Amino acid sequence: MTTALKPDQDEMEYELQSPNWSATWHKYYRVFRVSLAERMTYRADFLLGTFLRMLPMVTTILLWQAIYEGSGKDTLAGFKYREMIAYLLLVHISRMFSSMPGLAAGISREIREGTLKKYLIQPLDLLGYLISYRAAHKVTYIVMAALPYGIIFYLCRFYFDGIPSASICAAYLLSLILSFLIGFYFEAAVGMVGFWFLDVTSILYIVITLNYFTSGQMLPIDLLPTFWAGFLKALPFQYMAYFPAVVYLGKVQGNDLIWGLALEAFWALFFALLARYLYRRGLRHYGAYGG
Amino acid sequence: MQSQSPTHEFFPAPPSQTWKRYPRLLGRLGMFTLIRELSLRGNFLVKVAVEVLWLGILLAFYETVFARTSMVASWPKQDYLFFVGCFFAINGVLETLFLENCNEFSNLVRTGDLDFLLLKPIDEQFLITCRRVDWSVSPNIIMGFCVMAVSLWNKGWEFDALRVALFAITFTCGVAIAYSFMLVLTSFSVWLVRNQSLMEMWWLFSSLARYPREIFQRGWANSLDLVFTYILPILLVVNVPSRVMVKTIEPKMVCFIMVVTVASLAASRWFFQRALRSYRSASS
Repeated sequence: MTTALKPDQDEMEYELQSPNWSATWHKYYRVFRVSLAERMTYRADFLLGTFLRMLPMVTTILLWQAIYEGSGKDTLAGFKYREMIAYLLLVHISRMFSSMPGLAAGISREIREGTLKKYLIQPLDLLGYLISYRAAHKVTYIVMAALPYGIIFYLCRFYFDGIPSASICAAYLLSLILSFLIGFYFEAAVGMVGFWFLDVTSILYIVITLNYFTSGQMLPIDLLPTFWAGFLKALPFQYMAYFPAVVYLGKVQGNDLIWGLALEAFWALFFALLARYLYRRGLRHYGAYGG
Repeated sequence: MQSQSPTHEFFPAPPSQTWKRYPRLLGRLGMFTLIRELSLRGNFLVKVAVEVLWLGILLAFYETVFARTSMVASWPKQDYLFFVGCFFAINGVLETLFLENCNEFSNLVRTGDLDFLLLKPIDEQFLITCRRVDWSVSPNIIMGFCVMAVSLWNKGWEFDALRVALFAITFTCGVAIAYSFMLVLTSFSVWLVRNQSLMEMWWLFSSLARYPREIFQRGWANSLDLVFTYILPILLVVNVPSRVMVKTIEPKMVCFIMVVTVASLAASRWFFQRALRSYRSASS
């Protein structure tokens, strides 16, 4: 122990004694690297899973084709048939960034089982660690999914009007990054509820089910009656699926786009602060049982 | 025990008596899992609430769609909602009785716990696929039937005993065909050990069954219709029972689903037993 505390021995010990931005960044970068390697282990299973998950898109395309034919109209709620299919494909990309499977349940489990204390006795912030871990998973997912998604989007290229302008692409990328942050901090905040309720699985089931509809994964929010469309657009859930997709399709432009991105950034910040606040408050309740 | 003759202990009961005990056993297993489920009432109620919420979302989706169109693939609103209810009810039966058990099978293979089930003096297929009843999804069956009843009421449907009888038969056939598919996918676990992607295959199959056949009867999708109606007949599961109630009765399709049911049950049982013969206990 005495030798381990010497500042020039090892990088980690150095961080313990003099924390600074560079050391902190390096620490979470290492978490990112390790998580990346871990995720790459199951690449074959992942590829098969991605293909299978996208196949129901075929039935969705056929269903919407039947809906448009049945309506006898070219456009529904401002969406042409091609745009509708493009939207439903783009929602998969949005969810690729914003979905956080197992995050809230994992945090609640760590609280329940007492293993959360490892973050308290080490120079490691829980949210910092988890966001590095998730970022690594997302990067792996996006890299691995590039092939199956590339094939699917190539086969469905007729539903798109080519690649949008550079400014739209930049706005789209920003909206996706912000959707990742909203998705992460929202789920983390739900997980923090575990400090008071111990098991958040039940709450989580309801949140996931509601989110599926309110985020616009099933259909564009614009198709709903005016009141409900307005109501859902005032909620943050639309940024997890609907908003990035309509940005790519060029349906939000000019001031609306800037305003939309600003609101998305606001919600990301809001959930980040909420998760941090709940974590700090929750630690006062934390009994560190088990472990 | 003392009053029983010793022969009972050494010789199996006659087949007629053997089959009689299965419904009783299913009832007891159901009761056991219900007691276990109700020991965590809060969790049970939340799971039920999620299922209700999910049906609500599905109905909201179709309400939104039918606000924009009067017809989807030649299915008017009330007929389509009957179809949705039928899918929900069939899926409810499958999830209540079989899905959790089939999901668990790969764990039994991996850990070697399957040995204990194979040693029981009971049909292996019954024990493996029916030993737990997932009561939390059972309200889906009731909700599915409620949706069907409401849509028939709104449609102004007149009672027809023949249609109801055919619906009961074809509904059972639909459940049996879907069960056979699930059993075949489950059986693969013996060789593959891990069945996550297989369960994704099941999800894929069930996502095909939830739409009317007519949406596949166009252009390139015609081949999907042919494959999933006549070769891997998952499209029959919900389509045939729904059609006999709200559309014209097609005697050919009714006969076909009955033949397919017998064939798929026999084939899946053969495949399952073939898989069990390849099982090498992991624990010994």
